[in-house]
This record gives sequence, C-alpha cells and structure tokens, in this order.
Amino acid sequence: MKGNVKVEQEALICAQCHYCRVCPVYSIVGWESVSPRGRTFLLKSKALGEFQFNERGVEEFYKCTTCGACEVVCQTSIPLIDLWEESRAELVRSRLAPLPVHERLKQAVEKYWNPYGERVEERDSWMPESIEFTEEGELLYFAGCTASYRMKELAVATVNVLSKTTEFVYAGQSEVCCGSPFLRTGQKDIARKLFLKNYQEWERRGVKRIVTTCAGCYRTIARDYPKLAAEEGLNFNFEVIHTVHFVNELIEKGELSLKPLDLKATYHDPCHLGRHMGVYDEPRELIKRLGVELVEMERSRENAFCCGAGGGVKSQFKELAMEIGITRIQEAQRMADVLISCCPFCKLHLAQASRESSAGVKVLDLVELLERAVE
Amino acid sequence: MDSTHVTALSSLLQGIRNDSSMLQRFIYSHDLSTPPKFIMKFIKNIPDIVVQPESVEDVLKILEVAKQNRIPITPRGAATSAYGGAIPLKAGIVIDFSRMNRFEVDEDAKLLKAEAGAVWWDIQKELVKRGLSLRVYPTSAPSSTVGGWIAAGGYGIGSLKYGGIADNVASLTIADFLGVKMVDEGLNRFVGLCGSTGLILNARIKLRDFSEDKPYAEHMSIGDAVKAIKSIKDDDHPAHSALFINSSFLSMKNQVKGTDLPEKDTLLLCNGKESNSLGEELWEDRFYPMRIKRLGPSLVTFEALIPLDNVPGFYREAKKIAGSRHGFEIWFSKDWASVLLFMPSDERTMAYSLHWLKVLKLLRLARKLGGKEYSYGLWLSHRSRYREDFPELYEYKREIDPHNLLNPGKFFPEGVVPRLMNLAELMAAR
Repeated sequence: MKGNVKVEQEALICAQCHYCRVCPVYSIVGWESVSPRGRTFLLKSKALGEFQFNERGVEEFYKCTTCGACEVVCQTSIPLIDLWEESRAELVRSRLAPLPVHERLKQAVEKYWNPYGERVEERDSWMPESIEFTEEGELLYFAGCTASYRMKELAVATVNVLSKTTEFVYAGQSEVCCGSPFLRTGQKDIARKLFLKNYQEWERRGVKRIVTTCAGCYRTIARDYPKLAAEEGLNFNFEVIHTVHFVNELIEKGELSLKPLDLKATYHDPCHLGRHMGVYDEPRELIKRLGVELVEMERSRENAFCCGAGGGVKSQFKELAMEIGITRIQEAQRMADVLISCCPFCKLHLAQASRESSAGVKVLDLVELLERAVE
Repeated sequence: MDSTHVTALSSLLQGIRNDSSMLQRFIYSHDLSTPPKFIMKFIKNIPDIVVQPESVEDVLKILEVAKQNRIPITPRGAATSAYGGAIPLKAGIVIDFSRMNRFEVDEDAKLLKAEAGAVWWDIQKELVKRGLSLRVYPTSAPSSTVGGWIAAGGYGIGSLKYGGIADNVASLTIADFLGVKMVDEGLNRFVGLCGSTGLILNARIKLRDFSEDKPYAEHMSIGDAVKAIKSIKDDDHPAHSALFINSSFLSMKNQVKGTDLPEKDTLLLCNGKESNSLGEELWEDRFYPMRIKRLGPSLVTFEALIPLDNVPGFYREAKKIAGSRHGFEIWFSKDWASVLLFMPSDERTMAYSLHWLKVLKLLRLARKLGGKEYSYGLWLSHRSRYREDFPELYEYKREIDPHNLLNPGKFFPEGVVPRLMNLAELMAAR
C-alpha cells in the first residue's frame, strides 16, 4: 500500500479499541484476522514495512461484507467502508487479488454484462407484456442484475407500481450491471467500463431521474457513479432515488393510494440503503403507510446486523455468508413471521437462510407488499 | 520456536481452538500501545500459537501443556489497555478468552457471575433489562472484558461512589498450575497483576439497582472541581461519576467531531443534579476519549492516580511538561483522581520517543506528589517495586509459578524492558 497516503494515514489513526467487534464476520469467525481492527493493524504494519500480505492474508482480508457496522462505532471516525474498498483495489493493483470467484464474476460480466453469467437476451424476460414503458424520457427504472435474473418478482412488482402512476423508461437489454460487486471487491477497471456503458445509455435516452429497487444499485449509482464521472471528466446530472423515496413522494402528492394490509412484520435495513446511504426512516414510513405492524429487531437502523451476502462474501465464502444470514433470520424469527427488506440481494440471501435453517420466516421485499396494497 | 515445534505444540493443544499461522500470531502480538520501535527489539511479542478456550477444562489443558513444556502463557481479554499487559514477552501461548463470555445474575444478592471474556457493555445491557446496573465499568466498556479489566486493575465510570474494580470484585475463580480455586480474600494477589499469578476464569461482581443517568456539566477550574468533589463524597450522595475535561481537550474534540462544545475547563457530574444538554453530550461521549487520535495519527497516553488534594498542583505542572497540544480527562474516585493525559503524536517521527519520555517524567512528578501508577503491565513493571505489598506478591508468584510462565514480565520486572524504562526515566528526569 506504499504511496497511498489515505490508506496509511487512516490505518495509523485506528485506535485498536475493538469497538468494531460488532462486525458480523468477526462475530461468526471469532479470530481477529477477520476483525476490522485486525485488518487495520495489517494495513498499518504493511505501510510501515512490518508485514507483507500473503495468500492467507488476502483471503482473510476479503472476509468482509463491507456492511459498515464498524464505521458506525469507530472511535476515531475512520471512513472504514472506503478504506476496505480502497485497500482491496490496491491489492488488485498489486496482483494479490481478486480472489478466484471474484475474478470469475469479472469474466462473466465482461462476456454477458451481468455477474451471474446469464444471457443478455434474458435480461428483460421478466417484463410483463401488459406493461408499457418508453424508450426515452426523464424517469428511468434501473432493474439491476439480481432482480432481472434471480428475483424477477421484484422487478415485476416495481413496474406494476410504476406503471399505475407514471411513464417510465426501461433500457431492457441495454441495461448492464451497475458494477457494485466490482467496486466492493476492488475491481475498479471493470466497474468504470460498466459505468460508462450505463451512463451513455441514460444520456442517449434523455434520462434525468433514476429509480431503483436494489439497494446495491442505488448506493453505486448515487454514491460511486458521481465519483467515477468526475474521474472521467463527465458531468453527472442524474437524480438517483430508491423506490421507497419515489413511492412516499407519490403518496404525499396524493397520486397513489394504498389499502391497508393486515400484517405484523420486522424490517431488515439493507447495509447499502442504511449505513451506506443513511436511508432509515423512509422504508419505515412506507411500511407504516401500508398498515403493517412493524416490530423492530434489537439490532436495527445503523446498528442493523448485515444479511451476510455483500462485499463478495456470498460468492466467495458461501458457508460464512450463510451463517451470518441464519444469525439474522433467527433474530427476525424472535420478532415476527415476516421479514421485510428493501434489497433483492438481501431478500435472495435471507430467504435462502430461512429455508436452510427451517426458521419459517417469510422474506419479502417492500415493493412486493406495495404491489399488493396499491389500489 | 521453529515451525516443527509450533506444529508439535498445535497437536498438543488438539481439541482446543487454536491457530499457529503467522498471520494470526502477528495480529495477536500487540495491544493499544505502540512503543518506540527500539524497545520492541527486546521483546518476543509474536506468540507461537493463539488459543481460544471455551471451557475451564480447555484452560486447564493449556496450563498443563505449558507446564510440561515450559512455555510462557499470555492471557488476553480484548487487549484494550496500553500497558502491554497482553503483549507476550517471550512468545509462547496467547490465550484469547473471548469465547468464555457467559454470565449470569443473582438478582436477590445483586451479584454478577461472569466469565473472563464477557464484555462489560453486553453485561450492562442485560442488567438494565432486569433493573440492575454495574456499579463500575471501564471507559472501554463497549469492547473490554471482565477478565481484562480485573487483570489490568484500575478505576472507571462509577468509581466516585463505588471505588475501583478491586473494590467491586466479590470473588475470583483462578486457574494456575495447581488447579482451580475460588478466592474471596487477598484479591490484591490477582487484581491488577495481569494474570501473572493465575488466570482469571470468572468473577463475582457487586451490582446496584439501576437508575437513569443524569449527567450535568458545569464550567469550572480544576481547583473548584476538586472542591466540588470533596463536598459530595459521602456515601448517601447520588452522584456516581465525576469527570473533569480541560479546555484544550474539548478544543481537540471540536476539531475532530466538528462540534461546538464550549472550550472551557468543565466538570461533568453524573447523578448529582438534574441533567443538562452539555452534560448529556459529554456523557454520550464517555467511551470515546481517543477520538482525538485523528489529530495524531498516533496518540501517547499518560495515566496515574493522584491524591485528590494534589490534583490541582499536578495538573498545573503536568500541563507544562505536556506542552501545547494535549488533553486532560480526570476521572474522580473516592480518594484518588485518575488523571489521563492524551498527546497526539506521530509514531513515524523522532518526536514520538520524546513523548514517551514525557510520560516517564510525568510518572516521576506523580510519585513526587503522592501519586501512583494506574496499572503496570509490561511497560511499567519496573515501578511495581514501589508498592507496599510487592514483597508479599513476589513471594506468592515464586510459590505458584516457579518457572515464571504465567505472563512473564507483567507486573513483576523481567528482562531488558524494565531496565530500559528505568534508564529512560532517569534521562527524562534531567
């Protein structure tokens, strides 16, 4: 990491106080090689020439969902999410990373424009024939890869709600991965390529506003794209919102009315929506507007426990991701039979965790409930 | 120890969670302190193996392996002290107690029974649900452990009314080479001795009824703060904690937090008067004294116990030694004040060693004014001989640990470090 002042400086600032023991990975693994303070200690030691990353060190370094729970409690206010991502990018530049599965994701996206390795022609296969959308216009729905290929019901639910209230653009097979998995795993070059492709598409279609149901896409487009644009010398003049913002806005304007649902549920804050973007109240407002009795888990909002899937952990360390997911599902199980989230990737993983642990918790995305409630 | 021996050691400890990879050993080789580099040349701080016992049986097996093979043991809680208590001096086995973290509460007797690895704030959250509270807890409570704080000794939040951790331990369960024993008398043989006379397995700790914290802050000089503390020392007074924060520390907090706290010397009292907004803001921040490390990026910390009457005098002189860039936090206990001084520095520069010399100079000043060390660990073991009970403790250590395998170099001076520190202290005195 020599030469990277930010990484060295922030690693030196770490007080080693271990308040970051709230880390979901550390809480499962139990060894400090995967704890945030262990990682900052390694980064500092590397910067001071006392440590060299080897294969094991890199692997342990990647056992992090980049959920940001550490950043919330950090005594010295280190921007830890950025630190992990920047350090991973440096490991990639040093050819010590990416890890094998993350490399394969890159190969898949280079070929198919999505990390799942699914055919481009299938990307818009979920779109119901009854839904009308436009090729050009100000409001764009960005479905993302998980909803397009793995959680199609979420994409369908979103357009069912959107189409009742407004015209919208959908880029179909021209939409490509937002790049989130690659920014989180340090593979910035491919993320830049994906950004440019999406950016050019949106510019061509006259888009001004982008709405997404995926928390990971939302974080990437709202927070990472403006930086990538600046690096490329481009203006980023798009307003980026999550579905919860959009729907709350419609309700407040009286353009959408909802019938109440008779349901008791708990809410899981997706890390990319909550800690990464500070969106905590809007999903809760919407849940209450749906007439759902919301019961909070002990760890919620900025202290929410990660689902375990993010940061490349689900793809590279499946068992670890599942253990974290089961921990979260069991926490939800103590509160309600239904768990609501606002992220297809959280839903995908937590639903698997619920099945794997036979917890019997039904995992729903907020947009699915919304679809049921729209009159 | 070469790799063959490390592998052999790992197999001897089979059945107990352990890791002998260089990566893990490297990570478990330090605590909060970052001593000047030349000192580390005299320490074998990278252990041969790290173990995580999950039961008393595991700990006894580790002790047996250590005894049979004459391997040093370093017990470790969360390693949140800066005295070197959890840093190995002669490699060997680091015992990470984090997985022995169970606890139970006897609500009628108002007693907590907690394993060594239980974290103070996890315990407190559970106690509050039952209408109970810890009487004292450390300022590192979000991560520090029961065994860790007892082994380091010292004072904390609640000490104004309830004294130090030593005053709040009803009994300890200790493991040594002879077996397991419960100790409820002569606790000075264990509290603050870093596990050098036996490994703390669990502790019974006194509790109180829960009451809402009502923090109240008022601007005043250190002299007036001491007068205020002396006027509220009777046992019936509801105040349990008092913290003096000096203006320069508040200024540094403002710099790193972007807040607008009044930059005046301030006394924070918890449960004396009704709360006020400044009090609440400072109380919320009580676990975050090291925020100012961002101004370093390193931080050199001094801590000593000073008799109440001598606190203003010490404070006056210490400010001169510390120089312009410093911050004081002074936690008051019944008869003593725990004076903490933070000096932002940069471990990559020569000035860093000079800051360490300042710490030694401040320790001499503290002694001169009737003060004493807050804790000893590895870095201040040369000062343990000043304690009145040192001969008794030394005798006990020899009796139960003749080969000095239980956390060698901690509290009881051993090797080059105490001699170096003595020398440095003499240099600092000039």
